Amino acid sequence: MSTVVIIRGKNIFSLGNEVDEKILAHMYTLGFTTLTGQSKLEDCFHSFLQAKDKIGIKINTIGGKNISTRPQVALSLAHSLSENHRGEIIVWDRTNRELREAGYKLNWNRGGIKIFGTDTQGIGYSRNLVSHLNIGSLFSSIQADRISSSISLAILKDHGLAGVTAGMKNYFGSVHNPNKYHDTNCDPFVAEVFDTNPIKKKHRLTILDGLIIQYHRGPSFHSRWADKQGMLIFSFDPVAADSIGWQIIEKLRAKKGLPSLREESREPRYLKTAEKMGLGSADLKTITIKEVEL
Amino acid sequence: MKTAGAAGTMTCSGLAAMLTEMHAFSQESNLSKIEARFYEKHPDREIECTLCPRLCKLGDKERGYCGVRENIGGTYYTLVYGKVCSSHIDPIEKKPLFHFLPSSNALSIATAGCNVNCKFCQNWEISQVRPEQIRHVDFPPEAVVLTAEKNNCPVIAYTYSEPVVFYEYMFDTSQMARNKNIKNAVITGGHINPEPLVELTKVVDAIKVDLKAFSQEFYSKYVRGELKPVLEAIKIIAKSDVWLEIVYLVIPTLNDKPSDIRKLSRWLLQEVGPDVPVHFSRFHPMYLMKNLPPTPISTLVEAYQIAKEVGLRYVYIGNVPGHKFENTYCPNCQNLIIERIQYRIGKIEMLEGKCKFCDNPIPGVWA
Repeated sequence: MSTVVIIRGKNIFSLGNEVDEKILAHMYTLGFTTLTGQSKLEDCFHSFLQAKDKIGIKINTIGGKNISTRPQVALSLAHSLSENHRGEIIVWDRTNRELREAGYKLNWNRGGIKIFGTDTQGIGYSRNLVSHLNIGSLFSSIQADRISSSISLAILKDHGLAGVTAGMKNYFGSVHNPNKYHDTNCDPFVAEVFDTNPIKKKHRLTILDGLIIQYHRGPSFHSRWADKQGMLIFSFDPVAADSIGWQIIEKLRAKKGLPSLREESREPRYLKTAEKMGLGSADLKTITIKEVEL
Repeated sequence: MKTAGAAGTMTCSGLAAMLTEMHAFSQESNLSKIEARFYEKHPDREIECTLCPRLCKLGDKERGYCGVRENIGGTYYTLVYGKVCSSHIDPIEKKPLFHFLPSSNALSIATAGCNVNCKFCQNWEISQVRPEQIRHVDFPPEAVVLTAEKNNCPVIAYTYSEPVVFYEYMFDTSQMARNKNIKNAVITGGHINPEPLVELTKVVDAIKVDLKAFSQEFYSKYVRGELKPVLEAIKIIAKSDVWLEIVYLVIPTLNDKPSDIRKLSRWLLQEVGPDVPVHFSRFHPMYLMKNLPPTPISTLVEAYQIAKEVGLRYVYIGNVPGHKFENTYCPNCQNLIIERIQYRIGKIEMLEGKCKFCDNPIPGVWA
């Protein structure tokens, strides 16, 4: 059985549109302790990270300020990791422009938590062309060379082609040619990109930012189809995390009277493909959900 | 002996040749933002690109399959207008165009991007990347035309990657070139919709179509595109005033069946006619297809013979320097009328577009 932990921070938006950072930090603590069964954060992290790991936190900032992994969400995780873990931490995505537009302050050369894009001078893409099944890509040198462990800290949202974009599809931002992988509802490409060595060997954890969920007309932001859900979703199983994310989107769609993704012929079929490839569980019967409300 | 002008690298305006370094260059801010042609606006800032058969439907901030056209706030833009990543002066024979101003030099330009993803692409370092991932220079249409003039290039070739994805730039440059009596040649996979293609045929002089195979299965598996629109494109070009040549890259075990070659040849004979030059080119392992050997020359010769048997008059084999089937023979008297040694011209035995030996007219653009 795979486990997915959902932490709901009921009052996380009590300050309006700003995230209450104390509640957010509490959500993280609760998420990690519930997921790992450990009581101390340090022990939680040591259960899936090595002491000298260089950790990459892959975020998704393509949607701009309104519908990207929020800076508070990424930095809260990064600080929590740095306080309880010795290794270097890099918060990263494709481009510095997208990071800035999503509200991140870049830091590639000072101490502390690094925040930068693959297009930073001297970073770029690895020269090794990775050829695997239907994939032929160059990987960001951050993912391929600079880190030893990876956390996919993705925004959970509807996607016009993939159906749902979440933790696995977030890694499209680690390859140089994601535009080539959107045919046929991104299937089998999402699963196959994840199955490449630079991702599969390093991925340790999926966390989905579901504080505000775009449940229709994604991946762009449309306020009328975005809902404050105030949740973070945690799982060591990348397929299970995304499958539960999909169900959450379906519930929101049903509640708002929208057809299901299946009815719109864009269900995220890549999840079944990923399951068949042995990457995790898409079958809801094999997933245990632990839900905690703050 | 008449020789083609030496192929050379452009040096004018600091243009560098074939810059394929894959490090990041942070050139994002230097991309163009010229509104694209051929798209429809939809509600909620969504658009549908109608340039090529993919018909990409894109939300705000998304790019098409080509990676060089982006929806920004509900308006679709080309990001590569005048952003040249590769520029050479090539002999026209290198395109290959064999019946189009032989031995002339073509100022050849490309931007990043392609609307298919061939597993055997020779230029994937520029065709399969986004423009900000590769070094490029500003080379606006007027500068291209001026450079062609200064370097005695009677032809500008849009080539190397896939010119369909830089349509607006190619179109405007072609129009300007025409005004200076410079001809335009397009080297394409032919994955383009009829309307933009018809428009294009009004401003260009020659199109070489890379027909990758004659089966949809091959196109799905190895090209990630559609065969039918390519065949439609060939028919449209054939009906226009634009000179057309076809290249078929013969890949061992994948598209080299004699029955496929025969079907292809019959289709060309029926739809385009016997005079369209057809080049059967030799495959070399590269990009994502390194597991196959180079095409045996005997396979190319067999393809040549099949096409001739079917009734095509001007059949060539390519990427086999010095082979006799790189030459043009008069279909009437069988004499050698254009001798080629790789990209150089040995001799031309023609006068005013006719065979010097028997006066048979040879189709093509000769002056």
